[in-house]
Amino acid sequence: MHAPFDRRTLLGRTAGGMGIAALASLLAQDTAHAADTDPPKPHFKASATSGIFVFLVGGTSQVDMFDPKPELAKLHGKPIPESFRAGVRLGQTNYTAPVMQSPFKFKRYGKCGTEFSELLPEIGSCADDIALVRSMHHEAFDHAPGELMLCTGKDQPGRPTVGSWLTYGLGSASKNLPGYVVLLNGRSPKARSYVWGNGFLPATHQGVLFRGGGSPILDLTTPKDITPEVHRAQLDAIRELNALRRDETNDPKFDAQIAAYELAYRMQSAAPELADLSKEPKVILDSYGDGGFARSLLLARRLVERGVRFVTVTHHEWDHHDGIKDGVPKACREVDKPIAALIKDLKHRGLLGSTLVACVSEFGRTAITQGKDMATAGRDHHPHAFSVFLAGGGVKGGQVYGATDELGWKVAEDGVHMNDFHATLLHLFGFDHKKLTFRHQGLDMRLTDVAGKVVAKIAG
Amino acid sequence: MAYRVRFLATTLTLLLPLYAGAADVDYARDVRPIIQKHCVRCHGEKKQEGGLRLDVRRRALAGGDSGPAVVAGKGGELLKRVEARDEKKVMPPAGQLADAEIATLRAWVEQGAKWPDELAGKEPSEEHWAFKPIKRPEVPKVSREPKAIVHPIDAFILAKLSDNKLSPAPAADKRTLIRRLHLDLIGLPPTPAEVDAFLKDNTPTAYEKVVDKLLASPHFGERWGRHWLDLARFAESDGYENDNLRPNAWRFRDWVVSAINDDMPFDQFTVAQLAGDLLPNATDEQKTAAGFHRNTLWNSAASGDKEEFRTYAIKDRTDTTGLVWMGLTVGCAQCHSHKYDPVSHREYYQLYAFFNRSENAEVKLAGAKEFIPTLKDVARETRIHTRGNFLAPGAVVKPGTPGFLPPLKARGDTADRLDLAKWLVDPAHPLTVRVAVNNVWQYLFGYGLVPTPENFGLNGTRPKHPELLDWLATEYVRLKWSRKALIRTIVMSATYRQSSVRPGNTTDPNNELLARQNRFRVEAEIARDLSLATSGLLVSKLGGPSIVPPFPDGLLDQKFGAESLKMPAGDRHRRGIYIHVQRTLPHPTLAVFDAADGNVSCPKRDRSITPLQALTLLNDTVFVECARALGEVVRKTGVTDEARLRGAFELCVSRPPSERELAVLTKLVQRQRELGAKDEAVWFGIARTLLNLEEFTTRE
Repeated sequence: MHAPFDRRTLLGRTAGGMGIAALASLLAQDTAHAADTDPPKPHFKASATSGIFVFLVGGTSQVDMFDPKPELAKLHGKPIPESFRAGVRLGQTNYTAPVMQSPFKFKRYGKCGTEFSELLPEIGSCADDIALVRSMHHEAFDHAPGELMLCTGKDQPGRPTVGSWLTYGLGSASKNLPGYVVLLNGRSPKARSYVWGNGFLPATHQGVLFRGGGSPILDLTTPKDITPEVHRAQLDAIRELNALRRDETNDPKFDAQIAAYELAYRMQSAAPELADLSKEPKVILDSYGDGGFARSLLLARRLVERGVRFVTVTHHEWDHHDGIKDGVPKACREVDKPIAALIKDLKHRGLLGSTLVACVSEFGRTAITQGKDMATAGRDHHPHAFSVFLAGGGVKGGQVYGATDELGWKVAEDGVHMNDFHATLLHLFGFDHKKLTFRHQGLDMRLTDVAGKVVAKIAG
Repeated sequence: MAYRVRFLATTLTLLLPLYAGAADVDYARDVRPIIQKHCVRCHGEKKQEGGLRLDVRRRALAGGDSGPAVVAGKGGELLKRVEARDEKKVMPPAGQLADAEIATLRAWVEQGAKWPDELAGKEPSEEHWAFKPIKRPEVPKVSREPKAIVHPIDAFILAKLSDNKLSPAPAADKRTLIRRLHLDLIGLPPTPAEVDAFLKDNTPTAYEKVVDKLLASPHFGERWGRHWLDLARFAESDGYENDNLRPNAWRFRDWVVSAINDDMPFDQFTVAQLAGDLLPNATDEQKTAAGFHRNTLWNSAASGDKEEFRTYAIKDRTDTTGLVWMGLTVGCAQCHSHKYDPVSHREYYQLYAFFNRSENAEVKLAGAKEFIPTLKDVARETRIHTRGNFLAPGAVVKPGTPGFLPPLKARGDTADRLDLAKWLVDPAHPLTVRVAVNNVWQYLFGYGLVPTPENFGLNGTRPKHPELLDWLATEYVRLKWSRKALIRTIVMSATYRQSSVRPGNTTDPNNELLARQNRFRVEAEIARDLSLATSGLLVSKLGGPSIVPPFPDGLLDQKFGAESLKMPAGDRHRRGIYIHVQRTLPHPTLAVFDAADGNVSCPKRDRSITPLQALTLLNDTVFVECARALGEVVRKTGVTDEARLRGAFELCVSRPPSERELAVLTKLVQRQRELGAKDEAVWFGIARTLLNLEEFTTRE
């Protein structure tokens, strides 16, 4: 057998016989900083080792989905009282717009009795595993800044995303797949690749974009007249020639390049098996249901099973500036069943304890309308108070954390700023958010910027 | 009680002229203490609520979001607010000032608001390097061999290297140099014959001749035009959900390429794109150039207020103009005054007003059937969007430029885009020319002298070589804004010609002081062009409608623009610049290499390294076609395996292989044969290997 891998050439420049994933985490890129920083280790033992970020892009309406507000009915069609307005900035709508009650009913679910909208019965059926946070808030108003806030902890481009921080902190447990995978459904988030970017962390911590439909990765197949052995021989030659040129130029980027080719090779064999759903039982396929988003969540489970550290799955139907009445039920129908199926599937496989599922959005929506006609009215962006939920990964289920005022307008108790949310998330993975840092332009940067406190009740 | 106080205040106000006549108010003695005591906590150095700063004269006079704070002899927002009766409007919010204080402020304003220079106050921005006027710096004297003429660029670089106890790298070898020049100037590799000719030319002007030949090449415009298209957020579809095609957008691309090939001076180039339609007797070309601002996104699916998306487009034009010509993030001021840079909310809408007067128009070109997108001016009033909200119109503003920059000279009563364009390219403008030379530098060194081309403001990175940047800026003006002459000046320097080999130990690992050249991956389009050119498949036809190369299987099945992209493939082996740019579906072979996506202006591309790039170069249709074609060329030309290998290697990277490299390739030939590969497959395999080398897609 021809050696698939010339260890001496590749590893001569790196520390010992570590796997490709560990190698990748050591890679320097275009800057010299990376080499100066030792990869961190978790600061304490924790239950979460992988995460799935279910990102409902556009801004989910908390009062229609997660946070029942019967008081809205009393004010329906009337202006929002003066007392609510102080300090609450509006975007496109304004205070001439009336309050709109939710067209949907809420129900209690599970033993815990957490209330969810009637539009989310399947998610409701997982209530006892879910920690629903009703007091999220931050300051970023528009989509791109909101997405950046959610994914990087800061509303401006240039920082690493949650998945990048986690692969930086934990490395990848998969030798054959990237540590951080992104599956988009529908249009990309507004901030595009910033949503899965590595910021100032080495490029190997960038989320790798898999396609939601068709083959998950483009150009995965070697031209058919090249046998696997010939393909491997060519890759060996590429690697050896690159290593020789590295010695001539002293360019540290070669290490990333070499690792990228090796990972590409491993992905070629791992990805078709990953994407092959034919061996999934029919009952599982049925439980997730049809459509690209459902398939992405199933793929996310398969990725996590195969050691991928972090998967972001997006669903892009939530920016309801109009049509709350029809738009929210339609979008809920697309996500309710697959998300519940994911949680149950992970639980059934014994993976829920180590897999954090976070169902998030960049902000919520206003209790007042956008648009005059109630039948078609929408709601505007509202970062002042909104809901997200967590399941698995050591999260204490069956609880509601935090509360908003009687109109779902402002946080009333136990506010969770996005920086707090991230601090809690890192805590679940065993990191002290103040210590998971990376030196950049003279500063020790972190996911939680300069704030953040762990919400102990969520972390269980 | 409150009633009585108000009554008193009113009475006093009526009596004020008397008081004012009675005593002169002194700013330092009477006014400043009031401001310091009651106002600066919210309108001072740390905070500028409502965009207002009252402790700095320029800012106080300019005012904040509500309008000028102090209008000498007349009034202004300051008086209005301290005298306001409405609880929501009165300042300070904690409660009305004492009557005597109000009277003092009023008297001061009415007496002319005299504010002595020594107390005018300064903002950090007044000290900011990029906002200061450009002066031609003296070229440092550096001691080198007697009589040697030191290129001014090198003098600046050497002086700082020596300050930091660093030495410049030796010159790169001739093979590296000719490949570097070809990649930087035209984005295509030199042919082996061109390399040979350069190696054999031992005259002192050998290098210069190559430079001049490349500057005169029509491919120069393709290469540097693509850089400009990044800034112009050029695309051939609307973006958003419908993402409708813009079938004639390529006319703008061709205008850019030919303007750059003709070396149109950068000032004219600017004026044509910002205001070509407003020039007297505007030509078809000038109207096409004005399509620069037709590259904005357009949401034809907008279900809400159409006005909203019109304002988005105007904001994009405002922000892009600020970014491309001034390196400013003016867009930050659309909701509130800029946090870092001295652009107030009001000033933002004054800039916005230039574009708010413009409407989309179409012009029929002479001899052509189709209509070309351009702009035309109409009368439209601009109001400030309170907190950036177009539904909350504030005060009316007229077109104008930020107060911290040189004054605008308008031709008529109301300034228009032509005045704005001329203001930008006035050599006295501290930003335009600095930003322009920094851009050129970036494309020749991989990084700008200002490494944040997107931000020359207070939050940008200070250049390590501000003097060199200013020297280049004055030189650009002296060279009458000739892009080619500027590039020629830079590439003739020894600094440009240095080797890019990284020293084992250096105190400057990021090479900020330029003790060597940089080694960096070529852009997405060039990765494609290199493969096509090396394999002989390249169709080097210039200009015309774009091409749509095959998309990988399945991609078009997704909903994005699938229908709209079913058009004839055309000449599929043309250069990357001619690939159709669909905003929601960028061609994957380009996107994977960080191509600009045309949604927003892109002053600096990423250079990521990912496994998906490897898969693209190894397996994507066009790259496999190139490998097959190159394999055939190699198979048919050489006499022995060794000759073929040497020839193929040199064809790919413009240098012969080392013995060790040759051994690796020889081993690969043998191994493939052992595995049963036929001759054709063996050379296809060698070609595939070579086209995947890091060095192949790297500019060294």
